[in-house]
Amino acid sequence: MSCQSYSTTHPTNPTNNVDAIAGVAVKVVAFLCNWCSYAGADKAGANQLPVPAELTAIRVMCSGRVEPTMILECFQKGADGVLVLACHPGDCHYKEGNLRAYCRAELLERLVPQLGVDPRRFRFDYVSAAEADRFSQITNEFVDQVRALAVRPFKN
Amino acid sequence: MTSRARTAVILCTCSGIIAERIDWEKVQKLLAGHPTRPVFRVDQLACGADNLEQLETWLKEEKPERVVVAACSPRDHEATFRRLLIGAGINPYFLQMVNVREQVAWVTADPVQATAKSARLLSAALDRVQRQEPLVARKVPLRTEVAIIGAGPAGMQAALTLARAGRKVTLIEKEPFIGGLPVRYEELFPNLECGPCLLEPVMGELLHGHESEYVDLLTLAEVTAVKGTFGNWTLTVKQRPRFINPDLCIGCMACAAVCPEHRPHAWNAAGELAAVDAPFAGALPNFPHIDPAVCLKLKGEECNACLVECPVEGSLAFDDNARQITIEVGAIIVATGALEKQDVPAAFAGLADVHTGYSFERLLAMNGPTSGEILKADGTPPQSVAIVHCAGSLDTNEISYCSGTCCRAALKYAHITAAKVAGVELTRLVREQVVPGLDADSQLHHDHSAVSRYSGLGALSVDGVGAERRIVCQDNGQAIAAEMIVLMRPVVPGAGTSKIAEVLELDTNAGGFLAQLHSLSASCASNMKGIYLAGTSRGPGDIREAFSSGTAAAGLALSELVDGRDLVVDPQVAVVDVMRCSGCGTCLQVCPYKAISWNARDRIADVADILCRGCGTCVAACPSGAITGQGFSRAMLRAEIGGVLS
Repeated sequence: MSCQSYSTTHPTNPTNNVDAIAGVAVKVVAFLCNWCSYAGADKAGANQLPVPAELTAIRVMCSGRVEPTMILECFQKGADGVLVLACHPGDCHYKEGNLRAYCRAELLERLVPQLGVDPRRFRFDYVSAAEADRFSQITNEFVDQVRALAVRPFKN
Repeated sequence: MTSRARTAVILCTCSGIIAERIDWEKVQKLLAGHPTRPVFRVDQLACGADNLEQLETWLKEEKPERVVVAACSPRDHEATFRRLLIGAGINPYFLQMVNVREQVAWVTADPVQATAKSARLLSAALDRVQRQEPLVARKVPLRTEVAIIGAGPAGMQAALTLARAGRKVTLIEKEPFIGGLPVRYEELFPNLECGPCLLEPVMGELLHGHESEYVDLLTLAEVTAVKGTFGNWTLTVKQRPRFINPDLCIGCMACAAVCPEHRPHAWNAAGELAAVDAPFAGALPNFPHIDPAVCLKLKGEECNACLVECPVEGSLAFDDNARQITIEVGAIIVATGALEKQDVPAAFAGLADVHTGYSFERLLAMNGPTSGEILKADGTPPQSVAIVHCAGSLDTNEISYCSGTCCRAALKYAHITAAKVAGVELTRLVREQVVPGLDADSQLHHDHSAVSRYSGLGALSVDGVGAERRIVCQDNGQAIAAEMIVLMRPVVPGAGTSKIAEVLELDTNAGGFLAQLHSLSASCASNMKGIYLAGTSRGPGDIREAFSSGTAAAGLALSELVDGRDLVVDPQVAVVDVMRCSGCGTCLQVCPYKAISWNARDRIADVADILCRGCGTCVAACPSGAITGQGFSRAMLRAEIGGVLS
């Protein structure tokens, strides 16, 4: 099953115009683990802390679930930045999934420049369920950084 | 693939909170052209009881195949809306939630941006939900019996707690007697409570009390193999022969008095024990035990000394054999305990009247080798006693951790020694002093021994002999009178703990103790579902912790194994596609729960859904893409990626 066999990039799909309406210039995908970083994002909401509108979260149970190819696919499909946020080392709900994610991130940081993607467009970090401020800070910092970079040369 | 399944979208305003930032009318317009042609319903408060009823009616009328709910965090109400789908006759895993409250409305100041972001997330959810599969939670019948390994305070307490709830328990003890270490201690810190007095009622209740009918005690027994998973374990237990018929023996120990052969008295760490004997007065169960390596008759030699003396014919069972017993249980509680590190540090090795904590405890005990008198090997009391704290603990060369119990034991030794030996010169050599607990401070306040600080065992040497013997401390040049020396050695895992870790394939921590599922919030659970931990198998601890963790482990077994309630296996687990699995074994390495096993016949990986917790680490690691994370499959996540980037 191809990833492109079905998607909302269908020419008649009016959501294509959403970003133009809202003035959103970049798109950033954040993979959040259910137990720590997604909970931290929820807490940022409960505390009404700012999170960039350009950031859309994809919830996974564990950061260890995120396949490196998924991150590459994000870039391929036009993401300007990809974040993976995990539980802090030692705090993983699944004991060590975050460490697997960390190992994969180490590789990806070296891999993405080979594909013509500025490594500053990818970030792996840790956010606990309590760190609402940190979630807000990291996401704003990262989206600011991505905004400051030139438009991706091979963005489709 | 049902790429155009009819989809219902519930847009919640959360009593207006969400609607303050997100224009649901606008979102509907933006999504009207979505290929799935969703049907929308805006709801004031979708989680409200009345609203849920109306939504159920609506879903029954609309008959959608998929449902998307845009509301609060799935961490709040995913379960609520799954139940809504079940009520409406839709598979609960055909639900996808969009978190527009916490992650959009509350964090996006500009309503135009919030509305646009919601539309993008909903579009992604509509794409994702098409790929979702109907999942059914499997039900597995559970056994409610529990096996407890180790009959020290923790294991006994767990057994009694379960027995009181009417649970069948098999209590497996490798020694011929129960009670663990503290039953051999005369007095317990911090309040100098009598150890046997505390434990004998517990042991009595276990052996003869109202609940004893639920407890099957196997002494001299060890678990040698385990098969199965949570709820259905099969244990193989090897039981060594006691050579005593427990139905006939009255425990008079007349046999021990006449036995001509003796063995080293391991329980007392001093003296000898007859080949047929119990280690101390009050040892339970109240039968002797014959050591077949020492008994003349069992070695084939001519001896009937005990048989002649025994008042009840048949009590001595020389034809007793080792047994292999199979036990089927739902859960296992490991309470195999800890020990003091046995070896004596080089500076003290081979010297007379050097004790470790354990051998000193036996010296203090009325049923010990000196009937409770503090005597040197020559039978006279020492003029000076030096107690060395942290002897090998907090030491990167030996044991890096603090055992946390030795200081209180050392203070107890000092207190009892001062009371028993008139005029004794007492010194405690300390590195750190750890005296936690609400009532342990009185131990410090009542202590009158001299205290000398030292930096580590390397700084200590022993000089002189007898009454002139001194411990010389390099740090301060002090020479401390030490006719008798007590070394507070670190607490390490008991032999049974290391062995059982291997048999049950439990992880161990750096100290070799059994790894806890979480050191703070799940310290009585192992990382294997259905195996619980109690007492010092988890790390050094005192008797209070042994009792409370025994109760806690029993509580876990009671709450997870309920008679008549099947185990409902969450279907959001990893599933191996047998046709695509190349048998590389990568997944076996990454699974944190040992939920994946090697199927040698088909040369593929097998996932035990009961043990899988659905983290998806193996799914991401599989180089063949042969594992599907149900509920979070590759197709679903890719559809979601495509959706948010559209």
